[in-house]
Amino acid sequence: MEIQSNDERAFRGVYEEVFPIIMRVAYHVTNNRDLAEEICQEAFIRFFDKGMLFPSSDDAKYWLIRVTKNLAINQVKRKVREQGMVEKLKQMPTSRANTTDGEHVLIREETRAEVQEAISQLPEKFRLVIVMKEYTDMGYREIAEVLRISESNVKVRVHRARKMLESILNRE
Amino acid sequence: MCVDDQLLNTYLDQELKEPWKTQVEEHLSYCNACRLRLSALQEIQNRLASATLNDDEIAPSKERVLTYFEKNRFSGESTKQLFWHKRVQVKLMPAILTSAAAFVVVFIASFVLFSSNPEQRQEILPGVADPIDSTHIRQVSDAPRPSLDSFSLEQIINHLDKLGYAVKLELKAITPLE
Repeated sequence: MEIQSNDERAFRGVYEEVFPIIMRVAYHVTNNRDLAEEICQEAFIRFFDKGMLFPSSDDAKYWLIRVTKNLAINQVKRKVREQGMVEKLKQMPTSRANTTDGEHVLIREETRAEVQEAISQLPEKFRLVIVMKEYTDMGYREIAEVLRISESNVKVRVHRARKMLESILNRE
Repeated sequence: MCVDDQLLNTYLDQELKEPWKTQVEEHLSYCNACRLRLSALQEIQNRLASATLNDDEIAPSKERVLTYFEKNRFSGESTKQLFWHKRVQVKLMPAILTSAAAFVVVFIASFVLFSSNPEQRQEILPGVADPIDSTHIRQVSDAPRPSLDSFSLEQIINHLDKLGYAVKLELKAITPLE
């Protein structure tokens, strides 16, 4: 079914499905929840304002993930330039932590911080592939389409990213 | 020969195609080392998965951003109509403004040029002189020449007196008293 991006009904359908996906992508690339929300909003604004016609909802999804990925990478680069060091990006997003179960939340936030720290140490091309593999519902073929690389390249990068993450996480 | 990490990762991601998938599964059925390695890879994947934002954590952001669109983008009517409406507005605005300006000029000019009521005209446009029309123009050559009727009796007597005439006035049928 074709998707007209500035048609409200079509927009709502895509939004419902894709927002959680791009929110996770933006969050795991930037390691900042507020920034991730801003990036998602910007991605959907571009989506709506351009008034594009997509052949399918999957094409609309790929487009949004691609834009989100680019915005997130640009934000990371800008922040690194501004702050002069990567460390300041690795802030714990504790301000909006769910406090229904204090201990459980604390453990999860610690795990999350460790993982996010490890992901942020990966070179960009590995970070993007592993974030898309682990935090979206996309397979190798779809990731390849979003990143415009070959499927075998995705396979190799997933393997190498996991190897690097294993090394980082076991070292800590 | 054992299965390498890349193949195991592909198997773990359920992206391994036949016949390799069956071969890997057969190998795993008897190779303890490869099973352990697969578990280790699975463990990394699980740790990564546990760091994700769950739906409850995403919900507030999702709501906020959607509210932004409801306030700033959605019109309640068809979006295509909204864009069409915008285009029409952009193209028509200069024409509408020009027409409005022209109308105002014609409206005021009609009062100034054709109004028969000077007071009303002065009220609308103070300081504007009365228009030139037939009632305000008189040809000098057509002015009547002065006759005796143009002067009063006193003026006539004074004039004659200055010229040295003695003037005696009498009214008909009235005899002065002696």
